Amino acid sequence: MSKIQEVKSKVEQGRTKIIPGLVQEALDEGDKAEDILQVMIDAMSTVGDKFSAGEIFVPEMLVAAKAMSKGVDVLKPHLVSGDTSSLGTCIIGTVAGDLHDIGKNLVAMMIESAGFKVVDLGVDVPKEKFIEAVQQNDNVKIVACSGLLTTTMPAMKETVKALKESKLQGFKIMVGGAPVTPEFASEINADAYTPDAGSAAVEAKKLASA
Amino acid sequence: MIIIGEKINGSIPSVAEAIANHDSDFIKHLAKIQTDSNASYIDCCASVEEIKEVETLHWLIDCIQEVSDLPVCVDSPSPQICVDALKFCKKEGIVNSVSMESNKTDIIFPAIADTGWGCIALLCGEKGIPNSAGKRMEIFEQIMIKAKEYGIAPSRLYIDPLVVALSTDQEALSTFTSCCREIKDAYPDIHITSGLSNISFGLPARKNINKAFMVLSMEAGMDSAIADPTNRDMVGIIYATEALLQNDEYCLDYIHAYRNGLIGKKPKKE
Repeated sequence: MSKIQEVKSKVEQGRTKIIPGLVQEALDEGDKAEDILQVMIDAMSTVGDKFSAGEIFVPEMLVAAKAMSKGVDVLKPHLVSGDTSSLGTCIIGTVAGDLHDIGKNLVAMMIESAGFKVVDLGVDVPKEKFIEAVQQNDNVKIVACSGLLTTTMPAMKETVKALKESKLQGFKIMVGGAPVTPEFASEINADAYTPDAGSAAVEAKKLASA
Repeated sequence: MIIIGEKINGSIPSVAEAIANHDSDFIKHLAKIQTDSNASYIDCCASVEEIKEVETLHWLIDCIQEVSDLPVCVDSPSPQICVDALKFCKKEGIVNSVSMESNKTDIIFPAIADTGWGCIALLCGEKGIPNSAGKRMEIFEQIMIKAKEYGIAPSRLYIDPLVVALSTDQEALSTFTSCCREIKDAYPDIHITSGLSNISFGLPARKNINKAFMVLSMEAGMDSAIADPTNRDMVGIIYATEALLQNDEYCLDYIHAYRNGLIGKKPKKE
């Protein structure tokens, strides 16, 4: 197996301790930093698919992402742009009145691993803050709203509405969370709904390149 | 968690029958299923009259070693028979057991002094199992003095603070766990083990008591048990407890045990 393929498979396996060394070896052997980054992104995409399919569990996704981030640390000085987020920026947050963050954090992690710069606004985020974040960040491609309570679904609706009415452009809105359904997403004019972190990353990539 | 598989014991009627009939397939099967269930050691106790005990242990150990690479836990009430049986073992395992009863330590400790053998040490003495944790700790101190005398490192010892029945002693658990904590505080590398099923004697639905005891004792520092590794319920509880006690980073052991079919829904027979 070539070094770069080994990087890919060890990221998938979440081998955090050996990844930095492997990435360095791949660089030493002449692999381009951009290519190494790409295989790690591919690895995380496989991980996301397996998670969506129920083949792996949350901690395995976490260690894979951690392995990738260790690898990225080694790569950063070697990337021409110094930038690991080629797909644009994703603004993410849990909507107003809702303090849940586990699912949101997993989605943020997987979207970041897919090659986005992620701006995480945290929990209980008022709609104005989402709009402000779109204005203040460059190249925003995705705004992702999370909500875990039936009682905060109206806040999600308000957030999507405010973003659409803001006349800001260039980004798509994704929603998710336990009580959210594809029907609700389309009813409130969100651009996409995904059921889990793996599929969120796939969808975000699709939306950003559309 | 170090699980010492308990299934090969002549005090179990089906095993006694297999020993009487020299049914090696039966014994090998027990060794195999315990190995496949991730046991760390396989306990081997003949429970026959003393005159036949060494040869029986020899036969049992041969059966085990034919199908398993796991080290054996040589189990006999007689210290001399334990020592005599060590030579049948390909790997250094554990001697089960010493206590401060009669001259057990003086026979077993010198025999394993310059080896890698581990040893289970029960906290009982000439007068049986002491009621209080304090008295059991006195026996512990005596055992540690003997161990030091023979140069046996704490990491080779498996201390069994002993369990009495909850049905007759409400403090059965607290006595056990306070010994666990004190021992681990003094010797972080030492192992603590237990036969544990005594705890539920005299009560119905004993499995519940055994499982609850396992969880609470692990929290107190017990890191080994003489138990049935093929008991999926108990093994599931053990993996879950290890994860909850932060002994299982990212719960990966728990997940692997699930994936390997050791815990959770029983995989369909192929």
